[in-house]
Amino acid sequence: MELRDNDETHKYMLMRGRYSYLRDILYDRMTKIIGSPNNISHSSICAEAEKFGPYYTEGYWGYRQYDVLKAHYILLWGADPLAANRQVSYYSKVWGDVVGKATIAIVEPRLSASAGKADEWLPIIPGQDGALAVAIAHILLVQGLWYRPFVGDFTDGVNRFVPGKTVDESGFEEIYTHGVVRWWNLELKDKTAEWAADITGLPAEQIQRVAEGYGNAAPHAISWVGGGPCMQVRGGYSSMACHALNGLVGAADNVGGTLVSNKEYTGKFPAPDEFMDEIAKKGKKHEKIDQRGRLHLPAIKSGKPGSGVVTNNAADGILNEDPYDIKVAIGYMNNFSFSAPQPERWERALSKIPFLVHITTNASEFSWFSDIVLPDTHHMFEKWGYVKSIGNGYRHVTLMQPIVKNVWDYKIDETEIPWLIAEKLAQKGFDNLLRHFQTYQDPETGKAPADEKEFALYALKLVTQNLWDPSQYKGGDKFSGWEEFSKIGVWNSDPYPFRKRWGNMKTKTGMFEFYSETLKAALQSHAANHGVTVNEVMKATNYLARGETAFIPHYEEPFTLGDEKEYPFVHVDHKSRLNREGRSANCTWYYDFKDLDPGEELWADVAKINPIDARKLGIESGDRIKITSPTGSLICTAKHWEGVRPGTVAKCFGQGHWAYGRLASEEFGKKPRGGNNNDIIPAQYEALSGSSAYYGVTRIKIVKI
Amino acid sequence: MPRYAMVIDRQRCVGCGACSIACRNENNLSEGVYWSHKITETSGVFPNVRFHYLPTLCNHCTDAPCVRGCPTRAMHKAENGITMHAPKKCIGCRYCMINCPYGVIYFNWKESHQFWKNKQVLIPEVTSSPVEETRKVGGTVIPYYNPEREATLAGIRPKGVVEKCTFCDHRIENGLLPRCVEACPADARIFGDLNNPQSNVNHLLGKFKPFRLQEALGTDPAVYYIRDFSASNYPRTKGAV
Repeated sequence: MELRDNDETHKYMLMRGRYSYLRDILYDRMTKIIGSPNNISHSSICAEAEKFGPYYTEGYWGYRQYDVLKAHYILLWGADPLAANRQVSYYSKVWGDVVGKATIAIVEPRLSASAGKADEWLPIIPGQDGALAVAIAHILLVQGLWYRPFVGDFTDGVNRFVPGKTVDESGFEEIYTHGVVRWWNLELKDKTAEWAADITGLPAEQIQRVAEGYGNAAPHAISWVGGGPCMQVRGGYSSMACHALNGLVGAADNVGGTLVSNKEYTGKFPAPDEFMDEIAKKGKKHEKIDQRGRLHLPAIKSGKPGSGVVTNNAADGILNEDPYDIKVAIGYMNNFSFSAPQPERWERALSKIPFLVHITTNASEFSWFSDIVLPDTHHMFEKWGYVKSIGNGYRHVTLMQPIVKNVWDYKIDETEIPWLIAEKLAQKGFDNLLRHFQTYQDPETGKAPADEKEFALYALKLVTQNLWDPSQYKGGDKFSGWEEFSKIGVWNSDPYPFRKRWGNMKTKTGMFEFYSETLKAALQSHAANHGVTVNEVMKATNYLARGETAFIPHYEEPFTLGDEKEYPFVHVDHKSRLNREGRSANCTWYYDFKDLDPGEELWADVAKINPIDARKLGIESGDRIKITSPTGSLICTAKHWEGVRPGTVAKCFGQGHWAYGRLASEEFGKKPRGGNNNDIIPAQYEALSGSSAYYGVTRIKIVKI
Repeated sequence: MPRYAMVIDRQRCVGCGACSIACRNENNLSEGVYWSHKITETSGVFPNVRFHYLPTLCNHCTDAPCVRGCPTRAMHKAENGITMHAPKKCIGCRYCMINCPYGVIYFNWKESHQFWKNKQVLIPEVTSSPVEETRKVGGTVIPYYNPEREATLAGIRPKGVVEKCTFCDHRIENGLLPRCVEACPADARIFGDLNNPQSNVNHLLGKFKPFRLQEALGTDPAVYYIRDFSASNYPRTKGAV
């Protein structure tokens, strides 16, 4: 109320971590009606750059699904579907059949869970994925392995893609793609296997073999882009280059290829506009605290500059009071002071906020700095909500329902807590939020919610009504009503409509773009916002591309912090199959089964070092070591392992908590158990998507202690 | 009378450990006790390296060395071929552990679930102690205690005795599959009756060349493995001199 009195509602901030799709009540509607632009999601410390490539080639911003059972070749880029990708459960179920039918090649600097079952492991030098991708594209074209029913052909049928030679665009007739010849001329013509071998550290024969195997499997040849090549400072174009291979072989939207989400028909919550008063409208117009949209942070999600979040930069916004200071903040199911690179910035930023609230299941490093900690419900057993997932050509909308009695006194994060806050605000004279929430009527009875429990249920029924109400049926599974839907608990979509998007993609041209008119328009729009050229945008965002190259998938040298002489190793961060969506670090089984991750040890946090390197340093397995990067350090245990490339050190993310429960830290609040990778990862960005860079971003040194 | 056996399809296995984690929940196992376990190996030298995973559990051998060596007959064979253990008869001599060639029997050196016996509150007036949490949710020693385990064995085995996999005999009695089999997301574990020629295990044993662990010892294990964890292909070669 003080913020309202002082016209400072923009100084309220909401930070979102893990969520259900009832998120928009707390995240969007409440923030808007209070009058703040600052709803900050965790998305860009998750995977936004991974979505960048698919969007600027085929107009899809989201996670893909893969038709693995019909694929003949699967090329994985830093993706580990058996451990840390979406729908691990589905891929685990079918992988034994997949490996029997398809050739699996995996590009990853360390031997991952999926690499253990792959035909080819390509242990690439971190950050050089783009070089490999364009070399594969080069080989596909030179060898004539592109999929003609999708890409088209030379008008006279003669392949003119000869290494080193430019090609006349008019001689090639494209069908469902745009700019393949321009891509060749601008980027691919000189990118031979031999050229890539030097850069990637992979044998030219292996590059040639993988490219030919992949091309011969067209169109049932998946190029599966994970976070590895993309969540790097210059990863946006690697994301495009790796994903563009799907276009060359006709795998995009095709049987045995890479697919987008099926349609689902959940609805939206009532609009907030009429409940936003003048104070709120004025407050919402302020610049966001993460500085998105500035020249050096375009964050051009789905083609719109400044529409993506730059999660980790919000800490700097708060610290520098740029564009202003934050006075009141709520965080829910997030832990940025652990999970974001260079987390000490968050520690200082959170300390600076006068009134901070944390809604969480685990008293965490974020809670440590909070004035009030509100214990949260467990999402699987105590919460109303729904989640959406894709896999095997279907989309699923799954209900989350309270099935046990609450053990203690706590409330649901996305529904009950905002309702109770709305009630309190109404008591203090601001009832707009409560009146808005009262419009979330039960679709069956038309009754307005009278308390937080009714609100949670009605909100869920309201937004899922199209799925369970027979009179509003739009597709997929059909139910007789809410009762049947809530009993079954999941709605499945219709099967995937293969090739429906061919010629009809949400790009500027409607085609799969090798020359991205969509990215060109987005970059030009951002440049125009700042009165500069696209070249100046490239420079400000740390990219090397100039001119037309900015609009095509291309190779860029990785941007890695640290002088090679002082910091001889490149850090390889990776995820644990036991973490997935997190919150397992305080469980005994996490440590009792840690060696399910290849190369890991029980009850230890190990840095995996190639024995050649370790011996040079006189470091043995089991030695305590200190790892230092230009921005921080951590202490962990050394492990000799052949599954890691010499010159790199692989360490799994997940341990190093100093306040996450009695087990997660050795001494709660004082001594961490293991080391947090983010302590050595600098706060750097893939600025076009706003993503934090985790991979190939820093060099490190190791000393035995 | 059935003769129960398990076939583990290593190609389907993805090494996720869901079997072992489910086993832990079903049988109320303490930290460090793995009725369902694995042998892992990283073989080769960079860059020619692979990770291998072999799920393991009690082999329920027909000629079980653990049974032969038990001085009190606490370790014994049930009629359905399952190697069972009666904790009340166990004197904790651990001969069974010494005799077992597979290392799948565990001895309770101390009381189980030390973590959950802690009465201290981490954050006063905010969190609960492990003991309080267990009491509040109606658990026994552990909050996720499974009382169904008590049907044929102590729900939590006491200090001073051994314990091991029972093929989830308490579930089989009720027509349910062993928990590890049910929990496997990859359907890599196939359970059934060797005495039924039409059982799925016999179908698979007739289709693939199975192997069993340390077969030469003559223990006649009831856990069979088929196919390979890695189904990798490789470029054709005759090698070179």
